[in-house]
Order: sequence, then C-alpha cells, then structure tokens
Amino acid sequence: MKRFIVITLILLSLVGMTGFAAGKQEAAKGPVKLLFWTHEDKNREVLEGRFIKEFEAANPGITVERVLYPSVKIQEATLAAFAANQGPDFFNMAIEDEYQYIANERVAPVIPEAAGYANMQAIIDAYIPKVLDPVTVKGKVYGLPLELTNWCIYLNKKIFRDAGLDPDKDYPKTWEDMMRVSEKITKRNGEIITRRGFDFRYPYYLVEMVPMVEQLGGKIISDDGKQVIVGDDAWIRFLQFMKEWGPHGKNLGSPTYKASRSVWNFDKDEVAMTSTGLYQQGRMRTDNMAFFNSSDWMVVPMPQFKDAKKVVAQSYYGHYYLVNAQKPRDNQFAAWKLIGYMLGHAEDYLKEVSLPQPTKKLMASDAFKKMPFSQVFADDMARAHVVYYGANSAQLQKLIQAAVEGVMLNNVPPEKALETLKKDAKDLFAN
Amino acid sequence: MAPAFLKEKAIHGAVGVLTYLILSALLVFILAPMVFMLTASFMPARDIISMPYPWVPKGWYGHNFVKAIAGNDRTYLFFRSFWNSMVVAVAITISTIMIASLTGYSLSKFSFRGRDLVFMIIMATMMIPFEAIMIPLQVVSTQLKLTNTYAGLILPFLVDAFGIFLMRQYFITFPDEFIDAARVDGMTEFSIYRKILLPNSGPAIATLAILTFRNQWDNLMWPLLVVQSERMKTLTLYIMKFTGDINSDEGSQMAVSLLASIPMVLMFFSLSKYFISGSAVFSARKG
Amino acid sequence: MPRTVRSTLKKKQDRWGLVFAAPSLFFFAVFSFYPMFSAFFTSFTNKQALSLARPKFIGLENYSYLLQSPDFWNSMRATAVFTLGTFSALVVFSLLLSALVSELRVGKKLFQLAYYSPAVLSSVVAATIWLLIFDPRGLANQAMNAVMNTPGVDHYWFVNPYKEQFSTMLVYFWKHIGYFVIICISGMASVPPSVYEAVRMDGCNRWQSYWHITFPLLRPTVVLVSIMSMILCLRTFSVQYLFTLGGAPERAINVITMNIYFTGIRFFRTGRASAMSIILLIIMVVLTWLQFRVTRSEEVNY
Repeated sequence: MKRFIVITLILLSLVGMTGFAAGKQEAAKGPVKLLFWTHEDKNREVLEGRFIKEFEAANPGITVERVLYPSVKIQEATLAAFAANQGPDFFNMAIEDEYQYIANERVAPVIPEAAGYANMQAIIDAYIPKVLDPVTVKGKVYGLPLELTNWCIYLNKKIFRDAGLDPDKDYPKTWEDMMRVSEKITKRNGEIITRRGFDFRYPYYLVEMVPMVEQLGGKIISDDGKQVIVGDDAWIRFLQFMKEWGPHGKNLGSPTYKASRSVWNFDKDEVAMTSTGLYQQGRMRTDNMAFFNSSDWMVVPMPQFKDAKKVVAQSYYGHYYLVNAQKPRDNQFAAWKLIGYMLGHAEDYLKEVSLPQPTKKLMASDAFKKMPFSQVFADDMARAHVVYYGANSAQLQKLIQAAVEGVMLNNVPPEKALETLKKDAKDLFAN
Repeated sequence: MAPAFLKEKAIHGAVGVLTYLILSALLVFILAPMVFMLTASFMPARDIISMPYPWVPKGWYGHNFVKAIAGNDRTYLFFRSFWNSMVVAVAITISTIMIASLTGYSLSKFSFRGRDLVFMIIMATMMIPFEAIMIPLQVVSTQLKLTNTYAGLILPFLVDAFGIFLMRQYFITFPDEFIDAARVDGMTEFSIYRKILLPNSGPAIATLAILTFRNQWDNLMWPLLVVQSERMKTLTLYIMKFTGDINSDEGSQMAVSLLASIPMVLMFFSLSKYFISGSAVFSARKG
Repeated sequence: MPRTVRSTLKKKQDRWGLVFAAPSLFFFAVFSFYPMFSAFFTSFTNKQALSLARPKFIGLENYSYLLQSPDFWNSMRATAVFTLGTFSALVVFSLLLSALVSELRVGKKLFQLAYYSPAVLSSVVAATIWLLIFDPRGLANQAMNAVMNTPGVDHYWFVNPYKEQFSTMLVYFWKHIGYFVIICISGMASVPPSVYEAVRMDGCNRWQSYWHITFPLLRPTVVLVSIMSMILCLRTFSVQYLFTLGGAPERAINVITMNIYFTGIRFFRTGRASAMSIILLIIMVVLTWLQFRVTRSEEVNY
C-alpha cells in the first residue's frame, strides 16, 4: 500500500510542481537562441542545414534550433503555438495561410539592415514586381519569399508518340486541344483508366482552375470588391468543361485517381502530362535520373481556351519566411540576419533543390537560364498573377472544390453547381 | 431413424463448419489489406499501383526498409523516435492501469454521495473533441513548462475515461461477497483493492494495457503540438515524414509502419493468454 | 450487527470511495475540464485564432448561425449516418465474433490476432493503404470485379456519395473491430466456467447457453462496447480527413469533427468551432445517458 501511495503522490506532485514553475518569456540578454520551424522537404532540409551551420560558425552569439514539420501539419502546429503565444522565432508559411499572421500583427516587418538591405525600398527593388504584394501592408514588407512557384505542363514525349501524336506539333495549346489529345492518349480497362492524358492538380483550385475561369472572362471578386463569383457564363463554361472531363463525360480522369505528379517521374506509361513547377526537376533527378537526362520530356505553357478573352497562366504561389513579432528585438534581428544569409544563396536553392526565388538577379542569371525549360516558366509567370490570398481564401477554395466535385463526380448540372457556389460564397463574405 | 445423439452430433459438426466459414470470410476481408501492406513494403513505389496487383514482389526490394530506418537525411532518428514512443507509451500504460483501476473500484463498489455524478463527469471527458481543446491544452502545457519534455507527452494522458469505464464495468461483475468477507477479516479498503481485486482482474488489465498502449503508440496530434524538437519526436511524427503530400513514397511508408507495429504484436502475444483462457482466473478466485 | 453501527461503518467505507476517485478527478480538472470550460466560454465570443485583440462577447450568435447553416446540418447528417452504420456493425459483429471465436477448438489465438492486426497500424498508414485500395485501379475494384465477374467496371467508391460513406464505414470497421472483439472476449473470460457446466447439464445447447447465460452476464461488457463504439464513431476524424486529402469529395463525408477542425484550425474561427464542439458534446452526453437508462440493470448476480 505504501509504495502505491508514494507512486501516486509523486505523479500528482509532478503536476502540482510544474504548475508553480510557470514562467515568463525569457529576456534576450546575451546569447540568442533561435527556434526555426519549417516543413519537411528532403532536399531543402540538407541545404538549409548547411547554411545554419555556417551561420552559427560566423555568429558565435547565436544558436539555431530547427524543427521540421510534415507539410500537411505545419499550419496547425504553428497556429496552435501562436494562439498559445508560443510561436517560434521564425518560420515559413504558405501564401494562402500567411496573410492572417500579418493581418493580426503576429509577425514583424523585415529589418532591412539585418537581412542585408539598405532599406525597405531596396528590398522591394530587388524582387520582381508584385511578388511581395501578399506580404506588404502599408508600405512595409513582412516576409521574404523562400520560393515562388508557378506550374506549367510537363509532357512525356514517348507516350505522345505511342498514341500516334507528334509532341512538338500536337502538344495542347488550347483546353480544347487538351481534351482531344487526352482522348487519344487515354487507355482504359473497361471504365478504369490505366493511362491518363493529363491530370489536374485537384486540391489546388485557386492556383490551377481559377485562371481557367479568368481566361473566359470570369472572376472570383469584382474589382470594386462588392461581388463574389463574377461572370456566370465563364463559370458555367468552366464547370461544363470539367464535367465533360470527368467520369460522367468523356472519362479522362478524376480526383479519385492517385495524383499524377509523383507517378509522372517514373515514366511508367501511366500519365502523359502533369501540372507542376520547376522544382519537379529536382525530384525527377532523385526518382529517375535516366528519364531526366533523356530528351523524352518537355515543358509547355498552360493552355488557353480557344476563344479566351484574356491570356492567363496558372497563378503563382509560394512560401514566405516570417518572424514572430512577440520575440525580443535581438531575436528578430538575428532571425532576419539568418534569413538574409540563407536567401543570399539563391543560386544554390535553384541548382540543388530547384526552388526559384523571385529576385530580379536570379531571374536574369545564367543559372536560371540554364535550367531546362526555365524560360517557359518565366514566360508563363509574366502572364499570371499571384494566387488569391484574402482572409477567406481557404474557405473559398473549398467551395470551388465542392462545385467542381459536384459536376465531375455527382453529375450535378453546372448551372445548379454555380448557383450553390454563388450563394455559399456570398454567405461566406457576409459573415 | 437415426438415434438422437447422432443427429445432434451432425448438427454440431455443421455448426462448426459454418463457424469456420463465417470467421474465415471475415478473415480474408481483414487480412487482405494487411497482406497488401506487407508485400507493398518490399516493392518500389512505382510498382504498388498495378492492375492486377502482383501480391508477390518481384525481387524483394529491401531499400524501403533502409530508407525507413536511415531517413531521407541519414540521421537515423528512427531509433530515437522509437525510444521516445516507448517511454511515453509504457509510462502512460502503467499510470492508466493504476489510476483507472483505483477509480473503477471506487465507482463500482462504493456508494458515496454524488458517485453517479462523478461517473458521468468522467464519462463526459471522453466526449470532448480534441480539436476543440487543443489550443487551451497547449496553453496549459506551456504554462506548466511541458513543451519538449517527456512529462509534456505523458501528463495529459495519465489516465483516461475509457480506462476507468472499462475497469468499472469489469469490477461490477466481481462478487460483493469476497469484498465483504475481506472486510470482516479486517483488511483495509486499499489492501482489498491491491490484494483481492487487482490480482483477479488479469483479463481486464491485459485488455486495458493493450488498448492504452496502442492508443498512445498511434497518438499524433498531441506530440505534434507539444514537441518542438527533433530529438523528442515520437514515432508517429517520424512516420509522417514519409507521408508528406508531395513526396509520398508508399513503399517506405509501409516499411516504416511495419517496423513500428512490432512492439504491439509482441505485446499482444505476451498478454493474450489472459483473455483467451480467462476461466483460470475465476477458479483461482474461488479457491 | 445493529443497524446504526452498520450504517456508520458503511459511511466510513464510502468515504474511501471518494478518496480513490480523487486522483482521477484532480487529473481531469487540469487536463479536461479547464480546456472544456475554456471552449465553452469561447463559444459565446467571436474569437479568431490569431487575433491578439480581446474576443468580443456575442451571446448565442455562433449557435444561431450554426442552426441556420446548411453546412452544419450536412455535417450533422454525415455524422449521424456514419455513427448509425458503423456503431451497429461494430456492436453486432464484436459480440458475434467473440462468441464464435471463443467456441473454437483450433486457431483461437490466430483468429484473435488476425482480427486485431489492423489495430497495430497507425491511422495515417491505414488511410494510405485504403486510399490505394479504393483507387479505381486498386484492389477494391479488382476484388469486386473478380467476385461479380464484371471485368473493367469502375465501382466509383469515392464518386458515388453513398458508396463513399460506406467506404469510410468499412475502413473504420476494419480498423476497430479487433479492438472490440478483445474487449468482449475478456468480458467473457470473466464468466465462471461453473455456470456453463451447470447449464450444459440442464441440457441446453450452445446457442441457448449463449443466449440465456453468457449474454446476460456480459451485460456490463455490452454496455461498455456500445457506449465506447458510439463515442468513437461520433468522434471519427482521421479516416474522413485523410480520405479528403487523398481526393475523396468532401461533402458526403464532412463529419462534424472535420467541420470543427476546418472552421477552427484552417479558417481561424475559434468561437464558431467551439460552439460546434459544445453541440457535439451535448449530443454525446444525451446519447450516453440514454444508453445507460436503457441498460439500467447492469448489476449481475451469479
């Protein structure tokens, strides 16, 4: 009995004692310890690990602890930590999630001197136009881009030839081409598709599909900001296209098939075209060096609708490094210094992990021009705009997803799907 | 006409065959995905989706296991994570058994005022969705300085309502006469618990141990929030490394999960004697 | 023994009951009630997850918004369908399987381990396996087409909303049935064999002895299994969440916990998410209380 009580008491007092030990934020005198959160990315991890070591060696007063989170979980880990006022010193966040941190003043503006710039304007000048818009509020820049990516179409020439097509001539220039070409390429076992022509990036509706609507003259939000889901005809034509693509139409693919971007690298005669970024080349090298070195693949721009009202390419999106505003100024300074140091190696990011930073210098560099098909990406980026990142973006994306899934999978008429989408979007912006 | 006992034997035989048939049909349903996983762990990712599925890997590709243990960055954090998960799961299993059985005893064999209220309140804790309390819980843990510690991983799960419920339901069936007899013999309430109830609840404790261990072994959300250092990560977080949406590599994912399940299989085998031949417990109790 | 002595003795004993429950209560106070009350208060405010401003008290606004929101009612429907389907299957099959398995002469342990085996997998991996199985090229179509002799048919596991819901139930059943079979078997192990011997001598067959003897004695276990599985089903999250990430359409399987997750964590509306959690909590408490009422006479006598 005694032993039992003792054990129970120890366990209980553990709870109790720790209660008294509740502390305050440590003051930042003397050495600075930085906590850095980022998402797992097997190639970038190694590169940044090296930069951190070099930085620590050059700055004896600063130590850095890096924590890697699964990319699907980093958003919630960071959110919970910030909600409990326990955020890391600095972290990176995707464009669609980052804005809330700025809007709520949870992150601090860049300290130009620390990051290696003379002043704010120098930062803005160093990047290509508009890419800092998502992190700029009242002339202050709150984040620096780790990467800015746009997607183009990777195309497997072997599969094209196998389907009796000439990849250099027959590659899809319009969405109508895309459907025709895909019909030729698609192979099935009964209804089950064993070889797909093209696979959409299904969960990323704002990046890939909203530009399709915009080509037809539609919009998410009207210019005066008063109306959501603008241009019924454009939306209906887009939804009609997706319906024809899906199992209730020509059965060319659907979100229920395993996403193609990892499959494409293997060159297994499963999918001819996939939508992905420059970074795919780094993954191709790891997955299938022989295919990467061959001349059996190429990259083509995003198709446009035949009677497009506007030329629009897939939106670009990215990740920004942000610094916690609740940390002492010394920590913020050290954090921006490290970010500046890491991002100063833009060419290493590009060469070793295929992540392009949108600086004017990098875009004009030989390293960028030497990357296969980098010009295709640069040209498409010039035709694109940044992905919609307003406060309701995540919810809006889900509403568009529901509309597309409705027409593709559940055979909902496009008019009805649009009606629901408009109503839900209106409610969303009203609340 | 056949004698009655022969007829009965035939019925018994038929029932026996039917039993095996039903059980085996379900066995196929349950095992097919397991076998799929086992064989897939020996295939390169590119071979896993094929029509028809090959079932026997060509050439037993062992690279998945190398990758599972070494990790992408060759830090071999697998072992460290395995150890962390072990410490956490074992500690929680022991504390749950201790506290849950004590509380279960209190809620089944005493009738103090407000007992049913206490029981319902404890039950209610089982019903709170974790998503609703994760932020307040994070606040508590930060105030208690639990971030990045074993204590932080263990304390919020010292006992759970399910364990208390399970022990209570088990103790309800325990005959009161034994307890009364012990009281007459002058045993204290605590020694009744320790010397009579605990030794006679093998099946319940074994069940609780297996289920608690399993739940902790699979706990993902809480470690994700409370651990902010690579060295303190648990195995589930380690497994997540292989399931990131971009680089998902099913082969090594299956391999790492196969390795992660070894402790639970061992535990099942070592404890299974308790619930399979539980009758022995009762004869001992009577004696 | 005189009556008064006995009752004071009884009172003294019962005080021990409270002492024994104290460690748990203390524990739950810190790690469950505090966060629960916090969520309760938050549900009356417009709290945004990242906002540093003091949340504004808005009374019942979150609740009235939810009760008028079709999205919320869709989640209620999804949760109800999932719970009814999975819960009844789990309860019936766990009782049936444990009865059958414990009757076996050969292979008892093997069957138990086999049924339990899916439980050793982490939820993430289980969902990955099933996503591969439900891929149109995966095992689910292959098996269906082999059994029904319909080569090349896509059974639209995720396309058809009914089948999609069924798929989530199937995975959940697969993952958890072993868990409940074990609970039932350990419950049966506590029935003294002398009881069986007595009935056998009375000439009952196996079925009769199960129905008249084992089942009533198992009542506490049945209560345990049914309440546990009901709560588990109402709280289901990972299967639906991971399936949605893997490309399954969301609407049909947007269970309430997933709605809470998205509202609170992805859309930052902590106040509204808390209100949803409180509603879920109330539903669970009421259902559990009802189950206790229905199975009132839990006490068993040999």
